[in-house]
Amino acid sequence: MTPPPADHPSSQSPDAAFEREALPWLDDVYRFALSLTRDASDADDVVQETFLRAYRSWHTYTPGSDCRRWLFTICRNVFLRSLERERPTVDLEDAERDVVGAGRVYVTMLQEGYGDLLSQVDVLPAIERAVHELPEPFRSAMILVDIEDQPYEAAAEILGVPIGTIRSRLFRGRRLVQERLLAHAQDAGLARRNPKENE
Amino acid sequence: MSLAQIPPLPPECLEVLNHVWDYLDGQLNDETTERLRAHIAECRQCFEYKTFQENFCDAVHSLAERPGASPGLRARVLDSLRHEGFAG
Repeated sequence: MTPPPADHPSSQSPDAAFEREALPWLDDVYRFALSLTRDASDADDVVQETFLRAYRSWHTYTPGSDCRRWLFTICRNVFLRSLERERPTVDLEDAERDVVGAGRVYVTMLQEGYGDLLSQVDVLPAIERAVHELPEPFRSAMILVDIEDQPYEAAAEILGVPIGTIRSRLFRGRRLVQERLLAHAQDAGLARRNPKENE
Repeated sequence: MSLAQIPPLPPECLEVLNHVWDYLDGQLNDETTERLRAHIAECRQCFEYKTFQENFCDAVHSLAERPGASPGLRARVLDSLRHEGFAG
């Protein structure tokens, strides 16, 4: 992931500026759209519409600001409109329960001998599957913060929610993915090492 | 799924349990960050738990290396933009 050049001469034509600042993020927008839609064909449609809207609204973009964040916001809106559904809401008070829940998953992994699960060779596909099977809105929060490396504030802006909501959604997503990883290890009968040694 | 109960923890370990993700995400103030850092440095269980969560977040982040847009999509986007008047 290489960011496009940051300089943005004011004398540049709008099309040249668009080509220079927006188009280099096509891969990132596609990955984000694919994460949202979970369907390659739908993702293509969302990406095309995202760049069309971005082009039509290019005059509203502040030169030199975070173009990827701006495109992600448009992409998210295109996706939501394509579903014609309202944003779900999450109970903000649940974040702490999710943190402790993740601790219980970890203790269970240790007790059952899966303490080194994350170092096993086949765990990445399981993580990817678990993330992509997450229900919204947890999936978007994890994708933006944990995969696309957006800070909480940027993710909040893109999704149009308070930062505290990003934290809640992120923590719920992480806990759910870790629960699914544990279930994957149990189902797949992955190699266990010294069960209960860390009790 | 049946999960194990977390045994009673000293307050310092409980703070790590409750804030490990805030700690890793850089969301804590300097004082709290330093307090957790100092405890994690001297507590093997908390160090291992922090390392587990760190490895988990690193593993999830590695998914960013997935393939990007296909050449066909790139051409399709450019075509639609040119249809709008894009001169690039």
